[in-house]
Amino acid sequence: MPRNSVGMLVAALAALAVLGYTRFGAGDFGASVIMLICVNALAAASLRFVMLVGELNVATAAFYGIGAYVSAIATVWYGLPLPVALIAAGLAGALVSVLFGYVTLRTKGAYFLLVSFAFAEVARLVFTRIDAIGANSGMTGIFPAEPLALWYPTITVVVAMALLAGLYGLERSTLGTVFRAIQNNDSVVQSVGLNVLVVKILCLAVASFVAGVGGALHAHANNVISPGDFSFLVAVFALAYVKIGGEGHILGAVMGAVFLTVLGQYLISLGAQEAIFFGGALVLAMLILPDGLYGIAERLTRPLLRALDRTPPEDSVKRSTAA
Amino acid sequence: MSAPTGTAAPVLTAQGLQRRFGGIMAVADVSFEIWPNEILGLIGPNGAGKSTIFNLLSGFYRPHNGRLRFFGEDITGRTPSQISRKGLVRTFQHDSLLRDMSVYDNILVATVSTVRDRQARHRRVEETADLLGLTDVLAELARNLPHGHQRMLGVAIALATRPKLLCLDECLTGLNLTEVGRALEIIRQIREEFGIAILFVEHNMRAVMQICDRIVVLHHGLLLAEGTPEEVSRDPKVLEAYLGSKR
Amino acid sequence: MELAAQLLINTLQIGVVYVLFSLGLTIIFGVMKIVNFAHGEFFAVAALLMAVLVNTAADEFGLPLWVGYAGGFVGAVIAVLVLGLIVYRPAFERYLRDLVGSFILSVGLLLLLQGILLEVFGGVPRVVPRMGDNTISILGGRITELRLAVSLIALAIMLLAYLLIQRTRLGMALRAMSEDHEAAMLQGIRYRRIALYGFLIGSVLAATAGALIAPLTAITPAIGGDYLVKAFIIVIVGGLGSITGAISAGFLIALIESIGGFFLDPSLTTVALFMLVIIFLVLRPQGIMGHAEK
Repeated sequence: MPRNSVGMLVAALAALAVLGYTRFGAGDFGASVIMLICVNALAAASLRFVMLVGELNVATAAFYGIGAYVSAIATVWYGLPLPVALIAAGLAGALVSVLFGYVTLRTKGAYFLLVSFAFAEVARLVFTRIDAIGANSGMTGIFPAEPLALWYPTITVVVAMALLAGLYGLERSTLGTVFRAIQNNDSVVQSVGLNVLVVKILCLAVASFVAGVGGALHAHANNVISPGDFSFLVAVFALAYVKIGGEGHILGAVMGAVFLTVLGQYLISLGAQEAIFFGGALVLAMLILPDGLYGIAERLTRPLLRALDRTPPEDSVKRSTAA
Repeated sequence: MSAPTGTAAPVLTAQGLQRRFGGIMAVADVSFEIWPNEILGLIGPNGAGKSTIFNLLSGFYRPHNGRLRFFGEDITGRTPSQISRKGLVRTFQHDSLLRDMSVYDNILVATVSTVRDRQARHRRVEETADLLGLTDVLAELARNLPHGHQRMLGVAIALATRPKLLCLDECLTGLNLTEVGRALEIIRQIREEFGIAILFVEHNMRAVMQICDRIVVLHHGLLLAEGTPEEVSRDPKVLEAYLGSKR
Repeated sequence: MELAAQLLINTLQIGVVYVLFSLGLTIIFGVMKIVNFAHGEFFAVAALLMAVLVNTAADEFGLPLWVGYAGGFVGAVIAVLVLGLIVYRPAFERYLRDLVGSFILSVGLLLLLQGILLEVFGGVPRVVPRMGDNTISILGGRITELRLAVSLIALAIMLLAYLLIQRTRLGMALRAMSEDHEAAMLQGIRYRRIALYGFLIGSVLAATAGALIAPLTAITPAIGGDYLVKAFIIVIVGGLGSITGAISAGFLIALIESIGGFFLDPSLTTVALFMLVIIFLVLRPQGIMGHAEK
């Protein structure tokens, strides 16, 4: 069997297992951890998606926050149904990102990193200044409509999986190839007639849609949000999930989210300071785990896959991001 | 073979091009034309301004003075991707490839702006690779290719857009004698098959003399001489600029 | 007229600290091509140590305040120097020229250090016992002796740094590295050695900024954060790696802040500054003095 089909089969089975467990097996706490994993994975995948064009987008935090607030407004102020709130959140994130990207994606590398960081912090500041959305105290009472309440964790998982699948599909498409080309050498891409700025903005918009929905899911899972939830650290944690899970594949982002979220919950229960934990984890990862968990998993399962493999290896982000 | 005719319109007209960098006038006042179906060579000693001209034509630099016309249309100040879509496509002397991607993907990216259909893109990639002798290495990563193949890949990327004017920036550097011969053959084939004009910047004088219909000589940012290979190789100003050597 | 003088004086006071801090950041970027997000923590360490040392000198040892100040300053800077040496080898040196890797690493360090500082020093704001509280009048604007002294010392350090970069061999090596590291290496300049010096100089500049700001404000372990964002804005506007850019942009931002602070309130000024950056990026993506990123 070609590697692709095995992978997809495994993924489908795993997805079903998770869904089943979420709805029927997990208690309240278990469900809340699963939801946390889902939104973290979405933030991580969103960040990773922009890395396909070679940029580190700290503003992911801002779009995540914007999505959270927009969905909260939709639900709490206007009583709109959950799907509407989620889509509005995604669109809001995407729209703001287009405006942001139009200006800032003309820069690259360190400049883009810094300006996206500044944007994330400014967004948070703006959240604290708007009294209508609670300023520093934020918003409360963000609950999905009654009939959905029992299903909300499952819905979260379904939405997360759908978005992740969508991102993966785009990454593997010709558009994804163009993204990686931009990362490799954007002068060449320009020279063959592609408007690099527009393509980068498109990439950012898609990623920010996902981040926005992630924020919305977070808002409805947590039921309360405040500006402090949406500092640049959202992007840093997302980056930790990606780096530790492995940049080479979207599943790396998921694995990183799973691993660090669970570990984080455990350490928090021991009273450890979240910051030190994440900080230490990041530093350690950079020093000893260059390929992340996905890299380790890949190395372990390679003999098995070789036995099943009859198709040539496909390109991946990993190759494109190899130093 | 084509000589400039009075009736056909030029593919490209460069008029009074000027570009400064800080205090240095890289290109002072350069005017020339490229005619349909011709291979025009652009030569000159190091520092003459050849790369700058290339960047000006392809939109990577904006001229401080002067105009550029492509098939009569003013393209001065347009962006590289806009100019490329009009049909003026260039290769790069350094850093010319998508290094961590396969040969196939390298060429595929070049087809995106001109071909809509997935099947048609695939065909275009295969045809282009075939022409440039890259069919056997389609799955290889660009950075793993031997140097000769890398140079040809650079040409393939530009060619895959099916340009009307193909600008080759030192595509023969580092090639051995056999490879150069093959490359020149391929370039001739490209000109025959697609009926396009080619701008050929090179240091390899023998190759230039062999393949170009006309040559333009640049020196200190100015046009020194213009004419057939014969004429240029006898021009005393040119000989002086090169210290009397024609390699 | 008096208002103008006051605004200029405020600009000077605010600006000198911003410039020292940003200079450090931009030098580190110039030589190592990385953005050190933990830069603010070195600043915070110096500020906290200054507070602790001055207080200890006064309370425990009954020394005159100026001794405490001097000793505190030296102690804070040395401590940061040592800290820089400790983290450079195992961590930063491995990620030279790697923007993503060093970003993650330095943010990890930021979190780690901030967490440790919180554990060690606690979240309660610390104050340095003040001296030089007399107010002087300059051209109609008012400034305390202490603030004037701080500003002058900072300017002196700035001048020293500038001379170091422009007139010494080390400075030339740093500039060469910043411009074209391969060419510099071909000239025999030892990259890793120079990168280390660049990192230490940058971090010491952050430390001096922290030690100098300590007597002027209440210090908590989180103090690095605010300055970091401002510094980012400054180096974007001034151009990453540019010394003159950091200095001019630093004072420019300080000017806007002091004008803004007079008419608006602080967090709005940060938003306004960000808008400034956005405008800059539209018009000139490489900053006032910088070169375009490759």
